[in-house]
Amino acid sequence: MTVPGTRASSVLAETNAMINELVDKYGSPPVQVTMDTLFHDDLELESIDLVTLGVMLAARYGEQVSMAEFLADKDLVDVIGLRVGELVDYVVSQLDLAAGVG
Amino acid sequence: MPTIHVNDIDIHYLHMRGKVSGGPAPTLVCIHGLGTDSLASFYLTLAAPLAAAGVDLLFYDLRGHGNSTRPAHGYRVENFVTDLDGILTALQVNLPVHLVGNSFGGTVAFAFAAAHPAKTASLVAIESEPPTDLWAQRVGELLRSTKEQLSNEETFQQIAVMFGDHHARLSRQAYRRLEETTMAEEIPAGRVLDLVELSQITIPVLSIVGSDGFQAEDPYQLEGILPNCRTVVIQDQDHSVLVEAHRQVRDLLLGWIFRRPATTNVPGDPR
Repeated sequence: MTVPGTRASSVLAETNAMINELVDKYGSPPVQVTMDTLFHDDLELESIDLVTLGVMLAARYGEQVSMAEFLADKDLVDVIGLRVGELVDYVVSQLDLAAGVG
Repeated sequence: MPTIHVNDIDIHYLHMRGKVSGGPAPTLVCIHGLGTDSLASFYLTLAAPLAAAGVDLLFYDLRGHGNSTRPAHGYRVENFVTDLDGILTALQVNLPVHLVGNSFGGTVAFAFAAAHPAKTASLVAIESEPPTDLWAQRVGELLRSTKEQLSNEETFQQIAVMFGDHHARLSRQAYRRLEETTMAEEIPAGRVLDLVELSQITIPVLSIVGSDGFQAEDPYQLEGILPNCRTVVIQDQDHSVLVEAHRQVRDLLLGWIFRRPATTNVPGDPR
């Protein structure tokens, strides 16, 4: 199991809350996601839900966090197999960039 | 989740501004296809590179799809055209727009261009054709047979075995759309364009087709009926060109909108 760092843990917790807003829309029970949770196979979310999650992340963290940029160069198979941890790592890297870290 | 209320339904949309300043940016409206499709197929493949190149982008979910309202009725092509016109008016997009449509989205784009020539700068049709009698016949048959096949539970099990649970889930969603609405019956029953009306679509048209796609038998057919049409055939691709070959589609779109040569050689493009 992938263990997130401190900053990633915070982003993961916020992402978990956003994902629960999405699954709630479908009438599904609450979920507790980890870095290894798969968006499609584990959560049964679809591409349009990733778009909505992207809008929520940009509202929370600013326009430097862009789901469109994150996924632009991925192939369909990568998007279908996307893990929550990949997105969390991307958000952290964008926040580090904005803060001049690294 | 931004929505616009037009024609008694809520349309989910995303308006993304191009990142290059100076002068009015061209606006590209992206129109997705039927069934399990949504604005995501364009947004997740093309939004970032096109916005970075300075294109204003408008993505929206067609009625009955994605996060837009799913009314029980109102699925003729002209309903989709009225929606698009309402969206452009509501968002105060006043310059003529470039349209790109995938599959049925391209059919909507052709119908919009015919109804609103002054509002349309150009059109890119991906695996798509205008609404004609022949198109209505084919799409009607496709929707009828799809609905019939999906009414059999075994079909979903076969899809799961052949393509995985993800595709089986998408197919169930598509079936619910067809069951809960009159989409399958109304889409082929809408207003079609005749040869004279097609000859009056004088804007530049780029038709992108897969060598094994829906137009495989005659990939250049649109050049024969539209006065200003160019075709690009992407080799070894079927109807899923937008998603499977999104890098080539991106380069073709950039070249088209800014009228410069595409930066990617399209493998096997004979022209």
